Amino acid sequence: MASSLVLERSGIGLNNMTSAPTPKSALFEEQAMEHIDKLYAHAMRKTGNPADANDLVQETYLKAFAAFEQYQQGTNIKAWLHRILENTYINQYRKQQNQPFYSPLEELEDWQLGEAESRTATSSRSAEAEAIDHLPASAVKNALQAIPEDFRAAVYLVDVEGYSYQEVADIMDTPAGTVMSRLHRGRKLLREQLADYAHEQGIGKGK
Amino acid sequence: MGDCGCDKAKKDLEEYLHNELCSEEAADIREHMENCTDCSDELKVGVVLTEAVKRACEETAPEQLKAEVLLQIRSYQKH
Repeated sequence: MASSLVLERSGIGLNNMTSAPTPKSALFEEQAMEHIDKLYAHAMRKTGNPADANDLVQETYLKAFAAFEQYQQGTNIKAWLHRILENTYINQYRKQQNQPFYSPLEELEDWQLGEAESRTATSSRSAEAEAIDHLPASAVKNALQAIPEDFRAAVYLVDVEGYSYQEVADIMDTPAGTVMSRLHRGRKLLREQLADYAHEQGIGKGK
Repeated sequence: MGDCGCDKAKKDLEEYLHNELCSEEAADIREHMENCTDCSDELKVGVVLTEAVKRACEETAPEQLKAEVLLQIRSYQKH
């Protein structure tokens, strides 16, 4: 009963399945599968492309299933899955891509990054809000993809998933203060990029 | 504008926006926002930015991926 519900929710016909849920997988499927869209969105932000996002999500679910005994029933399974995804990404994809483990931008002090706010005159702040509100999703996606990965993950987990700083700290295995700093810097950079884009496109210029 | 609460409101704006302040601090800032156009406009930009990110990050996992994951999980014990 539970498994057919999951199948229904995932939009997968029974005839497409080559095997039935095992007793062990039934509970996992029921609890974990409903979060796959969110995990996929997380993976898309990490990898930037559907093929790698697919691999990352598959690996995350497989790892989670293998470690399902360690999951404490009653705690937040979605946060647990996001944490495994972060971990998997760091251990495999980042190493493969031979990317540095730190973002150069993270080494910068706040004053070096500049205040986003100071770039906007008081009188035009409502115009800026208006412009951001009218930007196409693709522009926001591109801007997100252009900021350092750790900043992007913090912005994604807080702003989109609605996790608290402490929850993101647990997911990213980093102090809450670091999450706060990444979030601030990420949003600041994002805002600057979007302001530049809007300016180039002449969006929100009307007075 | 200046020391009428703007400094504190601007400093804590991100934490206010993300519900990370205690209720007393949040109440102080909320009150300040009601009386300060400068700070409430700044807050508006922050809110709109969050909404834009939310919209941009909406994804639906491909059906194929869901099927693959189920298949892998169900055949896991065999390995």
